[in-house]
Amino acid sequence: MSTTQSLTITETYQPTNQDELVETVRSCCDSNTPMYPLGGQTSLHYGMASKVEGVGLSTAELNKVIDFPARDMTVTVEAGITMSKLAETLAAERLRLPVDVPQSDVATLGGVVATDFNGPRRYGAGTVRDYVIGISAIDGTGTPFKGGGRVVKNVAGYDFCKLLTGSLGTLGVISQLTLKLNPIPSSFRILSCQPNSLDNAETLLADLVRSTVTPSAVELVTGSHWSTLLSGDADDLHLLVALEGTELETDWMAQQLSQQWRESGIRFIQDLTGDEAKSAWSELVEFPASESPLVVKASVRPSGVTKFIEAVQNTKCSCNIQAHAGNGVVIVSFDEFPAVGLSRMLLGAVQPAALALQGSLVVLSNPSGGEMTHQAAWGGNDIPFELMTSIKQQFDPNNLFNPGRYVYV
Amino acid sequence: MIATSHPGLVNGLRSIVGVDRVLSAHSDLLVYECDGFVIEKNCPDVVVFPDSAEDVSQIVKLCNDVGVPFLPRGAGTSLAGGCLPVGGGVMIVLTRMKEIVELNIRDRYAIVQPGVVNVWLTQALKGSGFHYAPDPSSQGACTIGGNVATNSGGPHTLKYGVTVNHVLGVEAVLADGRIVQIGGPSEDPVGLDLVGTIVGSEGTLAIVTKVWVRLTPNPQGYRTMLGIFESVEDATNSITDIIGAGIIPAALEMLDQGILVALEEAFKFGFPLDAEAILLIEVDGLEAGLDQQRDQIVELCNKCNAREVRQAATEAERQKLWKARKQAFGAIGRLSPSYCTQDGVVPRTQLPFMLKRIKEIAEKYDLKVVNVFHAGDGNLHPILLFDERDKSQVERVLSASGEILQQCLDLGGSVTGEHGIGVEKVAFMEKMFTQDDLAAMTRLRIAFNPENQLSPDKMLPTAGACGMESKHIEQKHPGRRAAM
Repeated sequence: MSTTQSLTITETYQPTNQDELVETVRSCCDSNTPMYPLGGQTSLHYGMASKVEGVGLSTAELNKVIDFPARDMTVTVEAGITMSKLAETLAAERLRLPVDVPQSDVATLGGVVATDFNGPRRYGAGTVRDYVIGISAIDGTGTPFKGGGRVVKNVAGYDFCKLLTGSLGTLGVISQLTLKLNPIPSSFRILSCQPNSLDNAETLLADLVRSTVTPSAVELVTGSHWSTLLSGDADDLHLLVALEGTELETDWMAQQLSQQWRESGIRFIQDLTGDEAKSAWSELVEFPASESPLVVKASVRPSGVTKFIEAVQNTKCSCNIQAHAGNGVVIVSFDEFPAVGLSRMLLGAVQPAALALQGSLVVLSNPSGGEMTHQAAWGGNDIPFELMTSIKQQFDPNNLFNPGRYVYV
Repeated sequence: MIATSHPGLVNGLRSIVGVDRVLSAHSDLLVYECDGFVIEKNCPDVVVFPDSAEDVSQIVKLCNDVGVPFLPRGAGTSLAGGCLPVGGGVMIVLTRMKEIVELNIRDRYAIVQPGVVNVWLTQALKGSGFHYAPDPSSQGACTIGGNVATNSGGPHTLKYGVTVNHVLGVEAVLADGRIVQIGGPSEDPVGLDLVGTIVGSEGTLAIVTKVWVRLTPNPQGYRTMLGIFESVEDATNSITDIIGAGIIPAALEMLDQGILVALEEAFKFGFPLDAEAILLIEVDGLEAGLDQQRDQIVELCNKCNAREVRQAATEAERQKLWKARKQAFGAIGRLSPSYCTQDGVVPRTQLPFMLKRIKEIAEKYDLKVVNVFHAGDGNLHPILLFDERDKSQVERVLSASGEILQQCLDLGGSVTGEHGIGVEKVAFMEKMFTQDDLAAMTRLRIAFNPENQLSPDKMLPTAGACGMESKHIEQKHPGRRAAM
């Protein structure tokens, strides 16, 4: 787990209610003190290393459930609630937020929204931005503001829920959120197989798009991390497909998918249910947080996933790979910091591969704080960074929130 | 007149798009004086029909040079005055940009120009096994550019979400004429979520010139049911019970007695006229799970005292059940010469109370109100019936509408679920949001649109940047409007 040591923090404030949070932000604004919003501190290595001294602004004690009208399938909570506490609260009413994050006993909802972190279930259920229907925050002048509301359908005003999701706390500190929720399906299982090549994997992935099976997650993984867990050699590929629904539905899908795979020449299919499925799922969810000197995330067209993996493998850097293959998202966790230098390796080989597939590449974690240019951290083609900077200036005119860490130019 | 005070403008526009694609004669402009919201009217000074993002960019730059306001328009089906040129200026009509640029099934996206009519995309996808999920009831006319501007909904939003959940990226012309691409065929574009910010911004932040939309696999099957209830309360209880049981129907629509009577007179569906409400319920998905869901729904409706639950056994029967819902608005003409539709939202469990309040408010103002709406997501469309020749009725309709929307807010809801703020509901923004919230929205607008020449006087009560005064629009007359 990351710690605040990766940020240049002199002391950390931990307000216990919303008014105190506003007061704290105001006093920082008055003294022109930079602020680093902190949730569960599980993603502090995301973004550029901080260079300016400032204070930590912890939401740890802002963790109350404000309103949970279960029959309306919405919940309003403070931003510091942990993902596991939220899940537990919702599960009591057979509801959930279908967003999977590692270290859920520490990670907070506010942090997940600020980093727009999404796990394997994004294929079937969408991403966290699809579930935030109301948001409150305090901007860089110490002024609280909100967007959206508490109803599931609402088009009044600009959508601050979207603007703040993924903003890395740079427009304001997120204080409260309203979410729409989903029922928890009664049945869950995972089917897995080992494609014998990247080409074979692409064939199976393309077949899945046209299949009548509607998976919740489509994951393609490779590397020694996975071979220990799933058996096989380090360079084996594993395709894991999660199925959810009623028992009738998952049974039917499992049968259908097995048949489809057998027709494609797959001989060995693993059908995981119960605890076996849970344990494999937990590995898929926790992977991005596993110990690594460098983790990057590429987002490419889904059909480009195997080409991107090939490009990464061609760098000959030892790594583990997890692709949310149905969405075109590939997470690469390197075993060692690149000897040629980080920016050189990323800009030389990995980033061009993502760009060639009409995608982008960002660094998820670089705990050594080793040299990282803006281009290496936020690479992409023709991204309107100036426009984003204009927005930043409107919400945080003195650049007090997470200065120097995000995409602004 | 801007055209006369800026003589170079019309010629400049003609040199960008060609002589026949610029309208400036008053008689030609009349068509563009309003959209589906007919209460307020104002002619643009010039209407221009660009062919490309480059055209739009040059038009915008020219407007900035000359110092005239400009705004985009699609098919003009907005029900809230989203396309009303409040202070005149140049209207950029995007209906010539109507190409479906790419359909990509493997990567589940399509690229369309903003003037593509919503239903064209569905038609183009026929046979592919995929569709574009947002389907507003005006989908035969409205454009995808307009859908993006208003974050359109429709009957299937309960399960499939609204437009913003299906837009991967946009190409847009900013207020200063720059062309930017935000997002695209890949997910997770880097940096702030500008796509999510632009979708639903009602044309006030940028002019969208290309859209990457997500395609959704067609469901394997459907089960469609029609529940007939003695009381509105029983019907609304069924709704919460169905969703409480973990079933998310693809559609869950309610029609009350008033609308049933009109439908029966017009189309003879065979509905009992003494029933207070009917629910149209459709589940879709894997065949393997549908019978179970259908049986559960029938049981839950029966538990809530449904008099009868009809089931569609064939596709023809399914279409017949949907026909009742889709023709509801057509039947209203039998009830009254004019009508006004509202677009409030309440938490789903507040529907019984809200419907009771609508009835009380109608009685207080001596008006007839009928209801047909998206019950599953709490989005009400109360239809207030009146005769526009009667001044007193007109005043009462305006007062009753205001009271209904205020009641939605008091219950923690919203004054618009899918039609947008436009000019119609600007006055309600101050009731829904604090001054600080509105100031934050204004700052967002300034970041995109600092001179406030793009779609001025929309959505926000004090939209002005740089000391620009907002032109207050007072609603004097309820319109006869179609609804979702």
